[in-house]
Amino acid sequence: MSVGRITQRMLNTSGLASVQTGLTRLGKVQEQLTTGRILNRPSDNPADTTAAMRIRTGLADQGQYARNAADGVGWMTQIDSTLDSVTTALSRARELAAQAISGALGQASLDALAQEVDGLRANTVTLANATYLDRPVFGGVTAGAAAYDDTGAYVGTPGQVTRRIADGVNLRVDVDGRTVFGDGTGSAFDELDALSTALRAGDTAGVQTAAAALKTRVDTVISARTAAGVTYARLQKAEVAAGDAELSLTTTLSSLENTDLAKATMDLQLQEVAYQASLAATARVMQPSLIDFLR
Amino acid sequence: MVGSFGSLNTALTALRYQQSALDVANNNIANSTTTGYARRTIVGASQSTSQVAMWSRYTGYGDGVAVSDVRRMVDPLLDARMRREHASLASLQTQATVLARVESGIGEPGENGVAAALDTFTQSWQDLATNPGGDAARYQVLGAASSLAQALKAQVGNISGEEADQRLRLVSVVDQVNSAAKDLAALNHTILTGSQNGTDVAVLEDQRDQLALQLADLTGAVTSVRADGQYDVSVGGVSLVSGRQAGSLAIASGVNPDGSADGAAITFAVTDPGGTTTAVSGLSGSVGGINQLLSTTLPNYRAGLDAVATSLADAINTQHALGFDQAGTAGGAFFTYDPTNPAASLAVAITDPSLVAAASIGGSATLDGGNADVLSDATAAATEAYQRLVNGFGTHVAATNRQLANQEALTGSLDTAWESQAGVNLDEETVNMLTAQRAYEAAARLMTTLDEVLDTLINRTGVVGR
Repeated sequence: MSVGRITQRMLNTSGLASVQTGLTRLGKVQEQLTTGRILNRPSDNPADTTAAMRIRTGLADQGQYARNAADGVGWMTQIDSTLDSVTTALSRARELAAQAISGALGQASLDALAQEVDGLRANTVTLANATYLDRPVFGGVTAGAAAYDDTGAYVGTPGQVTRRIADGVNLRVDVDGRTVFGDGTGSAFDELDALSTALRAGDTAGVQTAAAALKTRVDTVISARTAAGVTYARLQKAEVAAGDAELSLTTTLSSLENTDLAKATMDLQLQEVAYQASLAATARVMQPSLIDFLR
Repeated sequence: MVGSFGSLNTALTALRYQQSALDVANNNIANSTTTGYARRTIVGASQSTSQVAMWSRYTGYGDGVAVSDVRRMVDPLLDARMRREHASLASLQTQATVLARVESGIGEPGENGVAAALDTFTQSWQDLATNPGGDAARYQVLGAASSLAQALKAQVGNISGEEADQRLRLVSVVDQVNSAAKDLAALNHTILTGSQNGTDVAVLEDQRDQLALQLADLTGAVTSVRADGQYDVSVGGVSLVSGRQAGSLAIASGVNPDGSADGAAITFAVTDPGGTTTAVSGLSGSVGGINQLLSTTLPNYRAGLDAVATSLADAINTQHALGFDQAGTAGGAFFTYDPTNPAASLAVAITDPSLVAAASIGGSATLDGGNADVLSDATAAATEAYQRLVNGFGTHVAATNRQLANQEALTGSLDTAWESQAGVNLDEETVNMLTAQRAYEAAARLMTTLDEVLDTLINRTGVVGR
């Protein structure tokens, strides 16, 4: 202070001011420690506030992506196991056709085979109507309960069921039933029907044609399953990635918003010392005056 | 030639002067903690009859002492500087207090602000895209939308409440200005007449300085001192007080006398003592601070919220109309708002959850969630606009707080300078008191001595042979 003349009131006011400053700083550190946050209002650090808000949005997004991917995984799991069963059923039909083609069977046996094929067809229709959370996974976006009716006609609504698994990445989690099973004439059910009819008629050539068609069908199913497997893997990766992103975003958010306890505790200690020093100094300065030293 | 009784008179002047010095010290000590009290110092002048009669010669060595002046230890330049800086301080303090309140109402960054509500709203569309058939997801979208609208409304409510408070305060501050101006004009007159007939007017001058400082605090008024010692005060360059006459400050438009808004921009006018009314601008002090808040800061924030609300509602409504509801019919408006007051009037137009247009395939009922997925993107612009708004506001508050801290330091150092000049130092007064006491004792002793001298002369001379 370059001022020459000092008065008692100057000492008092500057003492009070420094005690106030000390208290304000203590209050600030106390707020940081008790709330556990260094960002308590936008003006504490406007840039960090915006960053924190963005990260919070990002966190919410990643959580959503993880949930979406998990849901997609559910769809793909259902599709995969269904296609597995379809492959088994169709392969069994091919085996039955092969038995018939070998020629050693009488009509009664062929009828029995035909009956089994009918059973397989009914089973395949059921499989084609497999659902996940009450939605037929091969039925597109249908609001109904089935993708195929009993005649083997497609009754779904064409459309893609997609799940957003990352920013701007929408993955299709259903399989269009028509690409796997076909629709009406030429469908898997039609082929099984043809096999059954040929068996009942003892028409070996017909059985052979049907068997060839089934072979192609099995390939179709397997390739659809492979494609589904790829999607499945992507969904799983996306789920993990979203989880990882969530973790790293949480860490970043914490470093922006949360109090560094060690630093804040040190600060508290320092401010406390400063506050006590200013209290002590003020108390010492306020007491004496010349009057104490005069008779 | 010194007269015998003249010396006694010299001693008497000393007694009187030292008595006055004790009085001054006494008054200083008594007022050592009085706000606005400027210490007085007594100025003595030695007396001598230098002007003697014609054809005669002064042969004395001085005729004692008299009080020539009791000076108020103030520096008019420092006072002027102090008034200027106090005006800026008052303006910043007014703004910082209000901004702190508004800011704490924003609640960002946190889990309960508009940003969080926007996020929840976005997520609810994604959940609907995942499960377009469920009523639960549809209700969730409607719920999230109305809590978002509520969050925006709450912020607008905060701003409106603060604006109403500040308008009321502005009306009362303007009243204070006018009564202070009247008081100052009256004091001008009293001080002028008082000092002309030699009365001590220092107490009144203390009061007048306080009033001038108050006027500066309230409006940033500039005070100039006339040659005869009267204060002239001008506000925004227009005379408010001239000598014994006071004009008045008025809110010309923007705020009604009952504190309600009249819709126009806030302007001020000063009627000078002559009766001419002139519009003034660029006021500082509390009035300037409140004006800044009411004319710029708060309306800007409200406009930002309005922009967020319109951008959100328009984007959602546009995309919602492109989709199809649960029955397969094209979606209608999702949000409604009043274009004159978007953020406060934002509301969800749909109450029936089946009318939420989640599907991008129309014509018949489907479980498509394509449009819900796209809708979850439609909030992006509003989210970004809101982040910008909060950032801008936070930066403004931080800048105001920094300016306030600087201004407080500057004003504090000026106050210290004033105190250094005009404050009472008890040690100093004790010394003055002791000095006066000793001088008084010495003068009394001198009187005794002179008395003895006269006694010798009168009673003991010429007694030889008696």
